[in-house]
Amino acid sequence: MTVQAQGKNIVPRKAKYNQDFIKRSRGEKIFSVCNTIFMVLLLIFLLYPVLNVVAISMSSETQVMAANVTFYPIGFNPQAYRTIFRDGELWHSIFNSFVVSFGGCVLSLVALCIAAYPLAFGQFYGKKLYSVIIMFTMWFQGGIVPLFLTIQNLGLYDTLWALILNGLISAYNVVIIRSYFDSIPVSVVESARIDGANDYVILFRLIIPLSKPVLATVALWVIVGHWNDYMNPLVLVSSTSNQTLQLKLKALVLAAESSTSNLSTLSQTTDHKGVAALSTQVKNAVLVVSMVPMIVIYPFIQRFFVSGVMLGSVKG
Amino acid sequence: MSTQIKNKRSNLFSSPKQRARVWSNIWRNRYIYLMVIPVLVYMALFKYLPMYFLRASFYDFKLLKGFEGSKYVGLKWFERLLSGSELWQYIRNTLTLNSLSLLICFPAPLVFALLLNEVRNLPFKKIVQTVSYMPHFVSTVVLVSMINNLLSPSLGTLAKVYKLLGKTPVNFLAIPDYFYGINLISGVWQTMGWNAIIYISAIAGIDETLYEAARIDGAGRWKQTLHVTIPGILPTFILLLIMQIGQMLNCVFDKIYLLQNTLNLQVSEMLPTYVYKIGMESHKYGLATAGGLFNSVVSVILVLIANVVSKKVSETSLF
Repeated sequence: MTVQAQGKNIVPRKAKYNQDFIKRSRGEKIFSVCNTIFMVLLLIFLLYPVLNVVAISMSSETQVMAANVTFYPIGFNPQAYRTIFRDGELWHSIFNSFVVSFGGCVLSLVALCIAAYPLAFGQFYGKKLYSVIIMFTMWFQGGIVPLFLTIQNLGLYDTLWALILNGLISAYNVVIIRSYFDSIPVSVVESARIDGANDYVILFRLIIPLSKPVLATVALWVIVGHWNDYMNPLVLVSSTSNQTLQLKLKALVLAAESSTSNLSTLSQTTDHKGVAALSTQVKNAVLVVSMVPMIVIYPFIQRFFVSGVMLGSVKG
Repeated sequence: MSTQIKNKRSNLFSSPKQRARVWSNIWRNRYIYLMVIPVLVYMALFKYLPMYFLRASFYDFKLLKGFEGSKYVGLKWFERLLSGSELWQYIRNTLTLNSLSLLICFPAPLVFALLLNEVRNLPFKKIVQTVSYMPHFVSTVVLVSMINNLLSPSLGTLAKVYKLLGKTPVNFLAIPDYFYGINLISGVWQTMGWNAIIYISAIAGIDETLYEAARIDGAGRWKQTLHVTIPGILPTFILLLIMQIGQMLNCVFDKIYLLQNTLNLQVSEMLPTYVYKIGMESHKYGLATAGGLFNSVVSVILVLIANVVSKKVSETSLF
């Protein structure tokens, strides 16, 4: 079973609905109407928090202060975005998140393929032990504090490398990639070996090009995981110059009990009267900026994600 | 080929001839070993070294002194954890949240998948499904910021609804009674659509002829759902349920930590957040490591039990 085939399975039974559309009873019609109403309410429930953030970020101060803003901006005012564009620290944290997400993604994929290849195509002494060593980490980990002590001892504390390397090889992703490799005929590898290619060449020239769907899935998991990760940066990074976007967001948006004090760098650029209102807008504008990369790409990539979830469940 | 190796291993190194064959196998696999070794080095450094540092739970561990300079205290930290009332308070909080989540967040994707299955307008169905995934891509920090937005007593939407109904809005996040409710509703928001994927595909995998047979027997939509769809996805549901019960003592660190404030701490403090605070904020590494170790050991035992049960029930298991 390939990933695409599983993705297609999710397409609903179209023919069936058209068939029995005519002979619906009255009760079924009422249910259908109620169900549609429920789904519309559900859409509102799902979308409202996001729309609210976007609307507040673009509204005028007076409307925000009066709590009038709900679904759409009232008194359009993009001042908040102009303010955050001038905030160097925020952009630096976004840059850090990009480095960790995309750099980590590339390195992770290479490492995961190298880890999965011997499991799928190798016949070597110690294979069982190798498999156990990897799988054991799926069920038991050291935990937060031992991780911190390890990173500290390796001299990686407060570097972006700590974040990239800590998430480099996860047992779950190895299993996903390995199960895809298993679907590739062994004869492909064996004939290449007979032709004198070594395993690294086979992996990079033959296997990886054949495994694009699963690699796309895992790549996106890794990127989204790094981008949205809060706990690991919290434990492994301390200085401002190395903080990731989620840490910066927390400092800007959530630590702000009294809204102005924590927005020192941002509110300096605003005039005295509008500080509090603009802060609310600025906070929400920052949230919008942080969400944009994920929200914009997910409708296009969700197909890969969904097929990956299937792959994960099939292996069970 | 693997059986060949197994046979060989039984009399490994027994004769010069066998030994030569073993070495030739290793030589033939030299590039495989060139893949295995870096991976093992990585695993040792980043996955197993932390396990070694669990040793800190038996020491009054000081960061700069290491194990040699730190005082060995035996089981002191575990005794302190188990004798104090806090640990049971944290476990009770975790169990309360997870039980409520099992009642509300866990069945929500199933209900959603069943109702979505009844939507006949395909473009609309597609839109609902795609939108339902969206919250999965929202980070915890943003999620908690949204909660703060909506629940703010001065600027939030809920406060406005309260005013319209003639009530005085309160600071919802500061009231311990609301903590679990806020957690559960936001949990449904974030996980329902995503977790429904597995049910939606299970429904799609049900044999079409079963529906035809049911229709011939005169079953309407409702009867078809009751007698074909639900039995079809029940095994998936039960398997997930058992695994979920295995996760009963785990909690999502990020969300709990970010939703905490001094006013709701009595219901919101859980073992992982407590471990983080005593370890990373108070620098009591020994006690924190002991707390973390206790939590992971109990969790692993629960997961193993869940796995044994699921093996018995459905003959499928995670490993």
